[in-house]
Amino acid sequence: MSYTSKCFPNEPAGPSVVTETIPGPKGKDAIKSLGEVFDNRCTYFVADYEKSQGNYIIDVDGNVLLDAYCQVASIALGYNNPNLIKAASSDKMIRAIVDRPALGNFPGADFEQLQKDLLKHAPKGQTLVWNGLSGADANELAFKAVFFNYQSKKRGFDKPFTTEEEETCMSNQAPGNPEIAILSFKRAFHGRLFASGSVTRSKPVHKMDMPSFQWPTADFPSYKYPLESNEEFNAEEDKRCLAIVEERFQNWKCPIAGVIVEPVQSEGGDNHASATFFQGLRDITLKYGAKLIIDEVQAGCGGTGIMWDHERYNITPPPDLVTFSKKMQSAGYWFHDPEFIPNIPYRQFNTWCGDPKGIIMAAAICDEIKDNNLLEPLRETGLYFYSQLEKLQSQYPQFITNLRGKGKACFLAFDMPSGSKRAEFIEKMKLAGINVGGCAEVGVRLRPGLIFEKKHVDIFISAMEKVLPTL
Amino acid sequence: MSISETYFPTEPSAPEIKTAIPGPVSKAKLEELSTVYDTKAAYFVTDYYNSIGNYICDADGNKLLDSYCQISSIALGYNNPELLKTAHSDEMAVALCNRPALACFPSTDYYDILKKGLLSVAPKGLDKVCTAHTGSDANEMAFKAALMFQANKKRGNKPFTEEELTSVMENQLPGTSDMVILSFEKAFHGRLFGSLSTTRSKAIHKLDIPAFDWPKAPFPALKYPLDQFEAENKAEEERCLKALEETIKNYPSKVAAVIVEPVQSEGGDNHASPAFFQGIREITKRLDVIMIIDEVQTGGGGSGKMWLHEHYDVVPDIMTFSKKMQNAGFFFSEAGLAGDQPFRQFNTWCGDPSKALIAKTIIEQIKEKDLLTNAKETGDYLYSKLEAISTKYSGKMLNLRGKGRGFFIAFDLPTTALRNQLLAECKVLGLNIGGCGDMGVRLRPALVFGKKHVDILASIVDEAFGKI
Ligand SMILES: Cc1ncc(COP(=O)(O)O)c(C=O)c1O
Ligand SMILES: Cc1ncc(COP(=O)(O)O)c(C=O)c1O
Repeated sequence: MSYTSKCFPNEPAGPSVVTETIPGPKGKDAIKSLGEVFDNRCTYFVADYEKSQGNYIIDVDGNVLLDAYCQVASIALGYNNPNLIKAASSDKMIRAIVDRPALGNFPGADFEQLQKDLLKHAPKGQTLVWNGLSGADANELAFKAVFFNYQSKKRGFDKPFTTEEEETCMSNQAPGNPEIAILSFKRAFHGRLFASGSVTRSKPVHKMDMPSFQWPTADFPSYKYPLESNEEFNAEEDKRCLAIVEERFQNWKCPIAGVIVEPVQSEGGDNHASATFFQGLRDITLKYGAKLIIDEVQAGCGGTGIMWDHERYNITPPPDLVTFSKKMQSAGYWFHDPEFIPNIPYRQFNTWCGDPKGIIMAAAICDEIKDNNLLEPLRETGLYFYSQLEKLQSQYPQFITNLRGKGKACFLAFDMPSGSKRAEFIEKMKLAGINVGGCAEVGVRLRPGLIFEKKHVDIFISAMEKVLPTL
Repeated sequence: MSISETYFPTEPSAPEIKTAIPGPVSKAKLEELSTVYDTKAAYFVTDYYNSIGNYICDADGNKLLDSYCQISSIALGYNNPELLKTAHSDEMAVALCNRPALACFPSTDYYDILKKGLLSVAPKGLDKVCTAHTGSDANEMAFKAALMFQANKKRGNKPFTEEELTSVMENQLPGTSDMVILSFEKAFHGRLFGSLSTTRSKAIHKLDIPAFDWPKAPFPALKYPLDQFEAENKAEEERCLKALEETIKNYPSKVAAVIVEPVQSEGGDNHASPAFFQGIREITKRLDVIMIIDEVQTGGGGSGKMWLHEHYDVVPDIMTFSKKMQNAGFFFSEAGLAGDQPFRQFNTWCGDPSKALIAKTIIEQIKEKDLLTNAKETGDYLYSKLEAISTKYSGKMLNLRGKGRGFFIAFDLPTTALRNQLLAECKVLGLNIGGCGDMGVRLRPALVFGKKHVDILASIVDEAFGKI
């Protein structure tokens, strides 16, 4: 029996849409009352999480939708996974919720074990972890670690701060607050606070009206698909983009302390790049004494068929920091060089320094993936999914182009001819019982849980077969 | 029966100290933990299973009366039975296993949880809430709300221009904003890049991190006891307000918002009078600046009111919270502060229903057990006890402050070294207590602190002063 059948004996056999629109009448009422107290303008529908099961999300109107979006790629093991319910009711979880510690000051006696349970699942080459609370938080904490390290190295790790540094920083001025930068890529998404917002380059609406740091960008490869028939073009594209990165290091107005990159640019359109590109990036960072941060917030934790997507590129030496959140249900950065731990306390610090509740969930999710060997069947499901989509692509070339993500399990995407067609497609898929999300201007991205199986693929594909001819 | 007796029949009657702190077990555990975690800021290793009520238990079995409470973030004491009930509930398990992207797919019960929880204690005039993950996160989201609001107003509610749309992708004006957030000297608002740019407490919080060139204004340095320095203090506050007004008027770019703590906490428990906060309100209103009150540390009932600024009779535009609420976020009034378009104030989780459930329980308990009255009355009693000690050690215990502000009490020592010595002596005697600023000692007990705890605290502080 498959993991999904075993864990979710009551998973619906298929979607069922019982109202003419989604949200239906009850959903609309619920959204309206929610609006009295909470911004409801992004709300797709109101979900009944008590009833949702496995791959199916159920809304207040009783619509049962196959979920290929999974809370913006953040539900790993399906709704109401019984083994996670167990973790959620365990003694250590109760303790974590009732007596939430300020971890930096008063770690609990069991905290070492919690860290070790989490560290078992660190990416190859990483041995330590610092905890945060969201993807944006994790990335900004990683930037801080890079900046502390960069300046300490420059100053000499054992040298005290100068009086000038101590004084100027109280007025937000150099040299105390130096002008140093993180380089990111066009179309990148790393979050929406002020530094993460500065490196995010996906859409204007993500950035508009925020003050930002004047940090450099470089082009991220735009490949032609299918990859097999465009090898030469794509290799040139890698070279072109890497040359821009190198040029920035040579000519940017201030030092570049680090580079942040997603293994697959997700919000920005599911843009993939090659092992050559990532290794090239690593080489440039080494050459110029900068750190490499891989943002696995969306791609990490198994979504691409391996635990950490960048591992497939065999980047050598491994990246300096790897950030995570979403499916992990806890956030933070992995690292291995103890030099990233500032040599004075209270530099990398805040009230909670993470949350044992999240750390316990993260370890439980990773254990479950590993103990049940979930990624192997997921990779197969992904290949099957890809081949089915490929057929639809050749059947409907006017609607589906640039199918991508082959070999990365169900982390698949394709483009539609326009934003409005894409919106129509997503809406009609919903009414056909499938919850699916877009990315960038015209992309459709698939982000099912790790428990998606061939039978779910078939349901997804048959919904597409119904919807595509009506576009 | 006292509140703590009702909740915690097995709470120790006094601290129990068996070893040095950290003791041998704590030390060994810290040593081990340091292989996987930075332990340089750790006081000791805590046994949360055996901590109860107002007592924190360490790995050596020492039981300390806790007046620091996880940097002011524990509201109902350790192992509170009502929180245990919530933690064991089915709702909690569902919330933990199915964490939603709240803005896109909120749960059926989120409305109710907010309405019965956070919204039921919304400060006067602010009837909407946006949830977040930490204090820093809440403040930065509040900055974004203010910045987007001001920009939208400036562009006259019109769509973005083509130039804005292209320049913003290069982090350039006019799409990127040159508006600024003003904060006060000695303020603490967090440690991410935007919040850290408004934090002005200590160099160590800020060094080596790129910062925005944002303005600051002086925060009053009041003289104590207040009744002896009325004229001086009034002049000091007026000086600061004048500087605030001038900075806003003369700064080369638009000040979108002013952020201020009702009591500057990390920066030294610096208080100001209601008139000062009313002055900020008057100036910000007149000059079209959003006023953000940061109640991350002061909020949640410790002052005898749910939000400390309610002592001042001011209504800000935005108020942020975290810590004791266990759930972070901000309250606001004006609908425009939610952003003129959807997906501007947005992130994956937009909060956490499991935290909203905890916040709801905390709020229900505050009401049911009238914990605000407890904080007020016990706080007054605590103040009077400390006042007596300050007379006894008049050269060493200085600037006792926080009268009438519930537990939100602090005092200074003449030097940082003496302050640190006092904190260490208190710990040896069984009191966990925190410092703030350079020479301050701050009290941050839970809302279930009673008179008998005050008596123990006072006698330890008295004894510790005798030793230094
Ligand atoms: C790659 C990546 N990094 C960072 C983030 C930001 O995460 P959060 O929304 O939790 O701040 C996201 C969110 O979509 C993401 O996809
Ligand atoms: C007034 C105030 N604001 C903001 C913060 C930052 O909160 P956090 O540590 O959760 O980011 C703190 C933390 O001490 C605080 O006291």
